[in-house]
Amino acid sequence: MAVAKYIGLYFKLVSAGIRAQLQYRFAFVMRIVGMVTAYTGTAVTMWVMLYQFQTLGDWNFYEMLFLFALSILSWGFCIILFFHFRSLDTYILNGTFDRFLVRPINPFFHFMAMKFDVASFGQFLFSIIAFVWVSLELQIDWSIGKILFLLAVIVGGVLIQGGLLVIISAFAFWTTKSEQFYWVAMYPARNLTYYPLVIYPKFIQWVTAFVIPFGFVNYFPTTVILEKETPFFPDYIGYFSPVVGVIFFVISYLIWMLGLRRYKSTGS
Amino acid sequence: MGQLSMYWIFTRKAFLRSSVYRFEVWSRTGSNLIFLLMWGSIWTALYAGREEAGGVTFTAMLTYIVASQFLDGVNEAGTPLWEIQEKVRTGDISLELMRPFDVPLRYLFADFGSVAFYMITALLPLYILIFLFLNLALPTDWITWVYFILAAFLGFLIRYCIEMTFGLLTFFLVETGGIEDIFYFAMSLLSGSVIPLWFFPAWLETIAVYLPFQSIFFLPLSIFIGEIKGAEILTSFGIQIFWLVVCFLVLRFVWNKASHKVVVQGG
Amino acid sequence: MSIIEVNGLQKEFLIAKRETGFMGALRSLVKREFIKKEAVKDISFTIEKGEMVGYIGPNGAGKSTTIKMLTGILVPSAGNVLVNGIIPYENRQENAKNIGVVFGQRTQLWWDLPTIESFELLKAIYRVPDQRYKENMDIFKEILGLDEFLNTPVRQLSLGQRMRADIGASLLHDPPILFLDEPTIGLDVVAKEKMRTFIQEINRERNVTVILTTHDMEDIEKLCKRMVLIDHGQKVYDGEILAVKERFGKMRTLVVDLEEAQKPLYVSGGEICKQEGNRRWIRFNRDEISASELITQISQTHNITDLTVEEPDIESIISRIYQEGFTEPQFV
Repeated sequence: MAVAKYIGLYFKLVSAGIRAQLQYRFAFVMRIVGMVTAYTGTAVTMWVMLYQFQTLGDWNFYEMLFLFALSILSWGFCIILFFHFRSLDTYILNGTFDRFLVRPINPFFHFMAMKFDVASFGQFLFSIIAFVWVSLELQIDWSIGKILFLLAVIVGGVLIQGGLLVIISAFAFWTTKSEQFYWVAMYPARNLTYYPLVIYPKFIQWVTAFVIPFGFVNYFPTTVILEKETPFFPDYIGYFSPVVGVIFFVISYLIWMLGLRRYKSTGS
Repeated sequence: MGQLSMYWIFTRKAFLRSSVYRFEVWSRTGSNLIFLLMWGSIWTALYAGREEAGGVTFTAMLTYIVASQFLDGVNEAGTPLWEIQEKVRTGDISLELMRPFDVPLRYLFADFGSVAFYMITALLPLYILIFLFLNLALPTDWITWVYFILAAFLGFLIRYCIEMTFGLLTFFLVETGGIEDIFYFAMSLLSGSVIPLWFFPAWLETIAVYLPFQSIFFLPLSIFIGEIKGAEILTSFGIQIFWLVVCFLVLRFVWNKASHKVVVQGG
Repeated sequence: MSIIEVNGLQKEFLIAKRETGFMGALRSLVKREFIKKEAVKDISFTIEKGEMVGYIGPNGAGKSTTIKMLTGILVPSAGNVLVNGIIPYENRQENAKNIGVVFGQRTQLWWDLPTIESFELLKAIYRVPDQRYKENMDIFKEILGLDEFLNTPVRQLSLGQRMRADIGASLLHDPPILFLDEPTIGLDVVAKEKMRTFIQEINRERNVTVILTTHDMEDIEKLCKRMVLIDHGQKVYDGEILAVKERFGKMRTLVVDLEEAQKPLYVSGGEICKQEGNRRWIRFNRDEISASELITQISQTHNITDLTVEEPDIESIISRIYQEGFTEPQFV
């Protein structure tokens, strides 16, 4: 069975990736420290912002921290699985991508399994501390249902953000650039979602719901968990996160394969 | 004079080279706009329809944040921190030690070129449009514009010294993760680029006032929207010049240490 | 049926044009012009099982473009390719099982891991049966001397060791065809010699068909009977290496610095083809006269302060073939 074969192979490749990464232990630790510092910096900025104003579009500091931490948590998983997709352009430019094409397995799978970036420990550390703190402050009642929903939302969020990374990497097949697209489009777009989408113009909210579905990564699900209102959208929209994730990822995969076909006809 | 004309060549070269990276110009502009949208929306939501908060009108605040994004665009067009780090790691900077020019100065003049290109082709047209279409409180007398440009330029130099210093630390550290995050955090929050210092809690404001970062965004922007005026402008320039001297000396010190290290240990 | 059949192969690319000057700089922000480049114009050849063929040409001649089409990485603009009965670009994964590929400058091994782990991962990727894996590893340990560094991380291997490991890795799944792209690049003389012996042994003992692209004339001379020479995307020569060597490879150039440059210099058996200050270039045929004979001859009339003997490199041979053409028809 092809699937079973690929799963076994995935774990072999991934464990090789982890062992390779752990060769550089100091860099590994420093990256975790750096990540926690950076996210704490953003949280501090939010706190300073609300020091005088108390609320941002009806969201208080703790609610915003929850929103932010949810984004960081699913981003952490996304880093593990997909973050290296953004540098596909480098692989193409220095010719190492061809390596994936002279082997008898699916190149998407091979490229995905090549890295397994466990340094996203920093993301987990930050977001879990934030979750615990916010849960205590806001007295969130974590029922089984809510926990299952949160897990499904994280899967959805990983698929949405991973899907976008896959699309961004596919750009490299057409333009020989991908890393830059990440810094230009996805990085600022992710920053947008650290804040409640309700504060943005309607058009932006619409785009983040239906075009690049970032709203389903953290904003819509958070409104469900914290029982907040979503002006312009039905209250139950957050429940669609996992479905949106699956659909978006499938589309991304198809785009990637289309790009690969184009690469094979141009070579660069 | 001959010296200066040599450095101008770097400026011209960098200007011409920028055009090759046309994608970068578009992309940087796009990302700048997204962040403008973000901070504009945040401040609109924070004011939530109020005319003024903490003694500052909404229009003045919006002007502050738009001008801040403009300054951010200018400052980001220079050689970024990661590129300096990369040049240190690959040994490019060490190689330049053999050339008959001062390396930090050469990068500064190259930055002038790339900033000029980016300003002409993207930032100025864009922000002139934004200034025209949004209802902002622009300075009405020309002298404020002059003060703003001067203060912004001093801020640019201070930012350059600090960023270069942070970049050169790569010479002494095996791993720089964490260092750049501290730098970016200070650059965004303590400089007042996204939240003006007067909205800070008192203790944090005190800290920020005694650090060099406010010279990069907060002081020029406050001049621009008229929060700093009259004799205060002189004080503000005094603070900037003081920090420029300090940051410059620190940069020279770190640079001397770094180049010494290259000469003695071969990088 | 031949193991590799290439018929009327073509490949075109679009390349962006660079603008110059201030206005050009501004203009290129909005508009960019493209030029069509024919990397491969019209190439045909066949290779038989067990052959070892040198596929050579200067940089940008279309070498690696052809190899990419043979390995299924690129789809041709026109023409047909058949590798072991498979159209590579239509059935890339099937084709991948039949070929081994070594890119001299880029390793296919896992950089940070002990070398043995790359072999284990490739075993899983190519689904090599345990028994076969063991047999192959034993053979590689013997002929490639892998034992000495199997537990060393790839990044710590010397270039020569890394190339040996790379060749072993490319043969793990018993491919009938092996593509070697610059297998000796950057190696020192001893390592080069070793590498050539390995390649020969593999070709002989496992009857692997080898397609070798290289800049190193010695690689070709020592390894291949046949070479396919291309330039500007076209085949210039295809046939016995001996014939080319006969014609071009035997010419050498002796470069001497003389003390009394004003004194006229006469040499028999060679021809002075260039002079510059105190330096003279003397072209000679090594079958007719040896370098030492020439030097003795010159030193009878002049004091020599410095000398070198230049061998024709592949670049200059190719450019000569390209200029003069290969008059005797040697096409196979």
